[in-house]
Amino acid sequence: MSVNIDHLKEEHHQPSGLMRWITTTNHKDIGSLYLWFSLLMFFVGGLMALVIRAELFQPGLQFVVPGFFNQMTTMHALIMIFGAVMPAFVGLANWQLPMMIGAPDMALPRLNNWSFWILPFAFTMLLSTLFFESGGPAAGWTLYPPLSLQGGNSMPFVIFSIHLLGASSILGAINVIATILNMRAPGMTLMKMPIFVWTWLITAFLLIASMPVLAGAITMLLTDRFYGTSFFTAAGGGDPVLFQHIFWFFGHPEVYILILPAFGIVSTIIPAFSRKKLFGYDSMVYATASIALLSFIVWAHHMFTVGMPLAGEIFFMFTTMLIAVPTGVKVFNWVATMWKGSMTFETPMLFALAFIILFTIGGFSGLMLAITPADFQYHDTYFVVAHFHYVLVPGAVFAIIAAVYYWLPKWTGKMYNETLGKIHFWMTTIFVNITFFPMHFVGLAGMPRRIPDYAVQFTDFNMIASVGAFGFGLSQLLFVYILFLTLRQPVTAADKSWEGAEGLEWTLPSPAPYHSFDTPPKVD
Amino acid sequence: MTGIKSTITKLSLAVVAMYGFSYALVPIYDTFCEITGLNGKTNEIAYVANDIKEDNRFVTVKFISNVANSAPLYFEPSVSEMTVQVGKPYNTHYVMKNNSSKQLHTTASPSVTPGKHAEYFKKIECFCFNQQTINAGEVKDLGIQFIIDNELPNDSGDIVLSYTMFDISNNIKETNKL
Repeated sequence: MSVNIDHLKEEHHQPSGLMRWITTTNHKDIGSLYLWFSLLMFFVGGLMALVIRAELFQPGLQFVVPGFFNQMTTMHALIMIFGAVMPAFVGLANWQLPMMIGAPDMALPRLNNWSFWILPFAFTMLLSTLFFESGGPAAGWTLYPPLSLQGGNSMPFVIFSIHLLGASSILGAINVIATILNMRAPGMTLMKMPIFVWTWLITAFLLIASMPVLAGAITMLLTDRFYGTSFFTAAGGGDPVLFQHIFWFFGHPEVYILILPAFGIVSTIIPAFSRKKLFGYDSMVYATASIALLSFIVWAHHMFTVGMPLAGEIFFMFTTMLIAVPTGVKVFNWVATMWKGSMTFETPMLFALAFIILFTIGGFSGLMLAITPADFQYHDTYFVVAHFHYVLVPGAVFAIIAAVYYWLPKWTGKMYNETLGKIHFWMTTIFVNITFFPMHFVGLAGMPRRIPDYAVQFTDFNMIASVGAFGFGLSQLLFVYILFLTLRQPVTAADKSWEGAEGLEWTLPSPAPYHSFDTPPKVD
Repeated sequence: MTGIKSTITKLSLAVVAMYGFSYALVPIYDTFCEITGLNGKTNEIAYVANDIKEDNRFVTVKFISNVANSAPLYFEPSVSEMTVQVGKPYNTHYVMKNNSSKQLHTTASPSVTPGKHAEYFKKIECFCFNQQTINAGEVKDLGIQFIIDNELPNDSGDIVLSYTMFDISNNIKETNKL
């Protein structure tokens, strides 16, 4: 970071210190802000997860009261989704997109500044509800009525903060699309774009299509509670199930928003360390697009048990299973990329490999959940918790960590310590499995999710999961230590930091200059 | 820069359209429920019986009741089931008592099971079309008149009519304040 400041002082006369970060319109500055903010939120949400795991270490109530436990599960989800994973991807997009497409900056730099600076305010408002007398939101991140309508005073604050987060994401998405569609280097046709750019383009369209629907759903909650409307209030002829439909119409595209950029990262890192081109680039693009389109017609698989006509259950079961086809195309393409490659196993590659294996496990448990009759058994059990943590932690989070290790030398001009990186990888991977794998077993045995206490027969696996969770949390402190060590080094990294790395960003010096491409590069 | 401007315009329109779509989902869902009989929604305004003919079939109609959110109300059907002739109007009533010490405003929400037969259960008169005001300790008979449509399929089995009674006194107070 200090190198960037030097560049800045030479070339510009902008405010320094704190004002530099508040007023910046530079895509790299904003990317760094997003990434640091995401790291902070990752630890805040992680602490909440540890409160949950500490309470679940044994049956009975040990540390917290059930009401606070519910606030922890609700806030953990909201913070990890909207505070950790989404801002991390936007941060990576900010850093990488202009460098990858040969542009000087993002298309809308002032809007970019604004979309970041909304976030700290939104999260301050969200977190402040924990200090209310009636406590924070406790109805789960899905905010299902009637429970969410019966909550305390936190409800309007939570809704406004989600509105702000949605606005931030929509502005970010508009910026990403405007940049990609209008600012590519001459010669870079759509089908020549790096795959990370493609996945982000499609993600941005998903954000534009789904975030306003969430805004609508929570606005209806707000007017139901305070302005006498009856969208979801049964007393006035409304239907609480309608909320579930609207929410998941947003919610399912949202889960692909959380994973498509991760696909892009893995599709960038696997070829670099296999020293081969990405196998089946075109099919990767089409698979990403089909996953995005399918995501809009599968939402009701989150609510099979709500009472749907048989035809509906069958429709949503089959469309959901259909998603396994493009996802399978991706997994096989990654494997084919590695086939007969001269592979090396640096930290980013290790995380990408673990991503493929563990994300696929999460995908398979997703397929199990897609089977309607089986889902009646699994619904709202820890099996669901195991499933979505497998796709989000060793899925989305591993991809983000891999991306940070992979591009850190480009961003800072400094190489991280490979030995420590590998230790970080192994600790993270081992603990993530100790945490989440036992949840499959207790889920199949019938342990419900979102409970602070449980039947004694689930104790052993819960103890294992809690030990894993604390180990996972501590391993991430090592990550912070590695970042700290890296930033303290002198600049030594080569312009092309990895032997097999491809793409325009590696043609720039390391650390990347404050403005990426003043004159657009030629792409053949 | 014109390219960027037109991209922004189109995307902003898409955002507004999708926000509108979330509200459009409300009538879409209602229509969908009506067609599929989902949620057992029945007619919300009085049905005017004209072309329903008597039929020599008989079906059992069962009556059940619920009170939402533990409101201080006694609310039960006067008879728990009736065997009725298809196509002939019948009368029955529910009994409600206010167990609290203040006046309450209530409203009832009906539901018919199985949902796919809800459309053949026609309410000619129903207390659920209006809200009720009930004084402290008062007992009220709440009447309904219904008819089973002779379009009812032969395999129908029993029909269950359920009412959930809501205490909406607080909502009414808040609305008056606004």
